[in-house]
Amino acid sequence: MNTLPLTRREFIRRSAGGGLGFLAFNSFAPSFLAQSAMAQAPGPERDRSILVIIQLAGGNDGLNTVVPHTDDRYYNLRPSLGLREGLLRLNDDLALHPACKELHRLYDNGNLSIIQNVGYPNPNRSHFRSTEIWETASDSESFKREGWLGSYLDNACAGSPEEDKNNQDPAAVHVGDMIPQSFLSEQSHSLFGMKPRGRFDRGNDPADRAYEKLLQADHIEGNATYLQQTMMNTLVTERRVEQIIAKYKAQANYPGTSLAQSLKRVAALIHANMETRVYYVSQGGYDTHANQLVNHDRLLGELSAAMGAFQSDLDAHKKDDQVLTMTFSEFGRRPAENGSHGTDHGTAAPLFVMGSKVNGGLLGNAPDLGISEKEDLKFSTDFRGIYSSVLDKWLEADSAQILGEKFAHVPFV
Amino acid sequence: MPYPAPTPENFPLKDAWLPLPMAFWQIDTAQHLLRRMGFSATPEAVTAALRKSPRHSVQEAFQPGAVLPKSAALAEFEATVHERYRSLYQSDADFEEKRRIRRELQKEDGELFREYAMDWFFYAREPECSAREKFVLFLQDIFVVERSKVKETYALHNLQQTLRAGTTLDYPELCKQVSKQPAMVRYLDLVQNTARKPNENFARELFELFTLGEGNYTEADIKEASRAFTGYRIKDRTDFFFQKNLHDKKPKTVFGEEGNWDGDDVIDLAFKQPAAKTFLIRELIKFYLTEEAVPEAYIEALGEQWADHGFSLSYLTETFFQSRLFFHPAYRGNLVKSPIHFYLGLCQDLRLDVAPFDSRVLRSMQVMGQSFYDPPNVRGWLYGEHWINSTTISGRRQVVDFLFTPLNEEKLNGNEKRDLERARKVGRGNFLVTQERLQQVLGTAADDLAQHFTTYFITAPSRETYREALKTILGDTHSDGATQRIRNAMIALLQSPAYNLC
Repeated sequence: MNTLPLTRREFIRRSAGGGLGFLAFNSFAPSFLAQSAMAQAPGPERDRSILVIIQLAGGNDGLNTVVPHTDDRYYNLRPSLGLREGLLRLNDDLALHPACKELHRLYDNGNLSIIQNVGYPNPNRSHFRSTEIWETASDSESFKREGWLGSYLDNACAGSPEEDKNNQDPAAVHVGDMIPQSFLSEQSHSLFGMKPRGRFDRGNDPADRAYEKLLQADHIEGNATYLQQTMMNTLVTERRVEQIIAKYKAQANYPGTSLAQSLKRVAALIHANMETRVYYVSQGGYDTHANQLVNHDRLLGELSAAMGAFQSDLDAHKKDDQVLTMTFSEFGRRPAENGSHGTDHGTAAPLFVMGSKVNGGLLGNAPDLGISEKEDLKFSTDFRGIYSSVLDKWLEADSAQILGEKFAHVPFV
Repeated sequence: MPYPAPTPENFPLKDAWLPLPMAFWQIDTAQHLLRRMGFSATPEAVTAALRKSPRHSVQEAFQPGAVLPKSAALAEFEATVHERYRSLYQSDADFEEKRRIRRELQKEDGELFREYAMDWFFYAREPECSAREKFVLFLQDIFVVERSKVKETYALHNLQQTLRAGTTLDYPELCKQVSKQPAMVRYLDLVQNTARKPNENFARELFELFTLGEGNYTEADIKEASRAFTGYRIKDRTDFFFQKNLHDKKPKTVFGEEGNWDGDDVIDLAFKQPAAKTFLIRELIKFYLTEEAVPEAYIEALGEQWADHGFSLSYLTETFFQSRLFFHPAYRGNLVKSPIHFYLGLCQDLRLDVAPFDSRVLRSMQVMGQSFYDPPNVRGWLYGEHWINSTTISGRRQVVDFLFTPLNEEKLNGNEKRDLERARKVGRGNFLVTQERLQQVLGTAADDLAQHFTTYFITAPSRETYREALKTILGDTHSDGATQRIRNAMIALLQSPAYNLC
């Protein structure tokens, strides 16, 4: 393994072969390679704030996450799904789902903010469209292609394209096979996707040298260039990440679930001082149209345990000051249960923000349940206000420029 | 420089959907058709296509052929599953024992699923089935169901068979058939949809994902339409059943028309909406032609023709695949192959059988991001650029590596040994590129080898630069280590950016 290059610079230098410098060897090198070969390595950006996003895919049921257990109207809307036993007290009127033990502990310690009833005007109830709205921070009538984090990367790297391109660490890392739409950007940034489990090194093979040679061939614009760049970044990053994960000693007991194992890998990369500032992991299964009680209990239990382990691990490694973890889901669910002991697609729901730097407590107004059985919750906090706070206060960026508009901050950080 | 994309200004609207003139029917255009319609363009297939017209090539590729049979074990399971569950629930076994039996049933279903998935790969790999099966994949990405929710393998098989038979139907008729397929009834919660408690899941996806697209219906349309689909049930775990007393018989207003509509009526109403003329065509273009936006004027023009032909899918495929727009140079060599395309294309390009090891093949598909019949969500796979990230790239490279690595038979486990023996018995044991095969080309000049590889494995835009690079990698094909260098060159080419495009 020692003979494999570990940085893109080194990769470019060595794969040229024959002792010739890359630039001399290949006169038609794609420009981004030439640039990165020429540019100086920038000072590493250590100790910068980091954002970890946890997607709860499918639409998390807000009313059974933060439960208004003193409100009879809640139980009227949910004759079979209303939760009564084992609730974890937040204040006189509200309690967390019984499965959220770790989140409750974090809340009590002031390391968890719960923002209530988050949504947006004219809510859309399609999974994709609403996910897209959340991931692109658009309003429900307009369509944006770029994700809000992709726009952040565009913005953060504006004016210093060379520097960004020469960063040897990915700008953003996601766990899972799909690049989240949140990451889509106008400029190209190095993104890295990893699996929740398993190794990804390939060992050393002369066929790899041949592959590297073909990678350097001139590629016509379009998907070929995109493939070429992705393949090259992949080679370099795989080698580095593999080493980091293999060496990592977690200081917390992570459960075996995909979500927890994903967060463990994120913790390893953060611990290794990767320059990556944005991480994205996902937990699926929240689309609880039927038999919600059992499934939702399991999902929230996994979420709570995974987040708890992750925070403990960061604390133990003294990385907690640097990391903010935030959940989101495309929508909440209908206040009234359906006929299948489940709930259909709804609107607003609470979200969690975790970290030792958060202000803690409950923020925003609880949803108004003075509604008929057919009605939906009306949001009280716009999710883009939360994004603005993250961008301005946490990532030290300019939210108005990134989101295209100013939104009222939510004081969780 | 890439070729400028067509617009009505530089490429007249009236010509766009006319058949390609025979004068343009050459190696490059034939390769484009074969790779887009199916999974590869081998020298034999190209030669055969050039002996026919584009029209005949398309018609032949889509003509109905042998169906993918249900294995005896799967048919047996389907025939008995209801009875087996019923006796389980009626038995006085204790809770633990019942749970054990239920697990056994699920395990059995899991094995049947793997067998079915492999049967499909074997089947789709046959060149004469490829275009139709790729179109079935296209339809599966419209009528999405996830195995993780539907579970029953026989129901997935039945739905796929409906789609396969539906490739020559009118699209509204196919929508109606799919709405009554137990896999769909379960996947989009129609089983939960009753007059008293409507469940909107199916009605929403019918409009959004099957027929019209987002923005072409109102929330009220969905609420009303979902009432028309009440009473859809599954009988004995296997058969569709319409239960009258659960159906909402009151009038409904959908798209402004009031009537005592049932589900089929609502589908007919949807196809009276203007958006129905273009929705599927837009999806077809995304799947087969380009990720870039194609001018609306072209799409609308084909939409009108398609509607005039009663939304016939045969008409649509025949018109689309031999059209001048389909062959426009801007649309060549720039579409990312899906993992299934990549894998089956590899097998066809290298004249290999699908490897007989289900765990290996299915796992590879998962790593490359396309688990058989199990898309990430109801939107299906996004195709195109979305296939490519560091995880899936590594998966694709591993698949190629496997094809060029000798099999260590001693290391196979019991199941794999059994599968290997079976594959050899039915003449499907040729799934690796062996040393002997590589040695057959020893001594062919590097120039000629590079020329052949780049002509048949990749598309025009990268041919020239790749040919030069390959020549360097191949070196002298007479000297020591030449077999190894040929192997390396082929692996590199099949892992390269250009081979991942078509």
